[in-house]
Amino acid sequence: MSRQDETRAGLRFFGRVSASVSHEIKNVFAVINEAAGLIEDFTLMAERGMPLQPERLKSAANSIQGQIRRGDAIIKNMNAFAHSTDEDVREVNLVEGLALAVALSTRFADMRQVKLTMGECEPVSMVASPFDLTRLLHSSIAAALDRLEAGDTLVIGVRPEGGGASFSLSSPGKDGPLRDDEPFADLARAMNASVSVNEKTGTSELLLERAGSSE
Amino acid sequence: MAEKVLLIDDEVEFLEALSERMEIRGMEVTTAESASNAVDALGAGDYDAIVLDLQMPDMNGIEMLKLIRKSHPDLQVILLTGQATLEAGIQAMKLGAMDFMEKPADIDALTDKIKKAQAKKMVIVEKKTEKKVNDILKSKGW
Repeated sequence: MSRQDETRAGLRFFGRVSASVSHEIKNVFAVINEAAGLIEDFTLMAERGMPLQPERLKSAANSIQGQIRRGDAIIKNMNAFAHSTDEDVREVNLVEGLALAVALSTRFADMRQVKLTMGECEPVSMVASPFDLTRLLHSSIAAALDRLEAGDTLVIGVRPEGGGASFSLSSPGKDGPLRDDEPFADLARAMNASVSVNEKTGTSELLLERAGSSE
Repeated sequence: MAEKVLLIDDEVEFLEALSERMEIRGMEVTTAESASNAVDALGAGDYDAIVLDLQMPDMNGIEMLKLIRKSHPDLQVILLTGQATLEAGIQAMKLGAMDFMEKPADIDALTDKIKKAQAKKMVIVEKKTEKKVNDILKSKGW
């Protein structure tokens, strides 16, 4: 893949994630809009002599507060994602990197009715491009989701492995959902990453070698 | 006459609050939080308008719109979405949606569209009834 194609692929990924996040925020605003509108309706009704029901007001206010917490978490993840382009490479906490990729992929999983969760994670960090790492994990999750069905669960964890790290992708009761790196082969090659299936555990492993270790 | 509305959206809190606001405005509202629930609701009730989210986990809104147009051609569908793109709007209108609104929606504008949907459906039903009566009169010898 040429440098221009690679830049374009990175931009497409940034756009896809931004579109998903903005859609989620719109949903948050829509709920807040209706809950605030409901409070306004109740007060207008009270002005016309209908008794106010404190429980209904409380429930609408709770809904607004809950949506603000939801919106805040979405924005926090979007902010972390935007800052992943600040440096080309840096020391990255892979558990935090995985948590961000999982958060940014949750809407994609929800649309396929697959539950996406973090599994066992051991502290591990390495020098990497934070943006490329998010893209690699997001692509891996998307490829795994393609092999799952509505009602399935995708569990992802990370642990240190030979100076690098291994991300495990599994779905209870199913074979490893990630068979190869075909959907993201160029990126995987550029990041010294490879995919294998642990036949014993039925888990897919995305192995990320320490930068320079393959040379 | 109260407008009968089917609201379809996977955001449960949105459904609850919007349906309550519409009921305050005198409408009869049924809600469905998934496409499969919506299909059941469509079979069980008669509606003047459907307010449909464009992105549902178990079915794309456009696919749902096609399904509704096929099984209930008289039903007026208003698409309500957080992802309002011009392309999606054009596609929806081509498929026979009555209107396309972006979230968060203004309740007065939505209510107005629902009232128009009810009026439109009544005209269609009246025309169909008139045609039926004319056909009967023509086919009989009296």
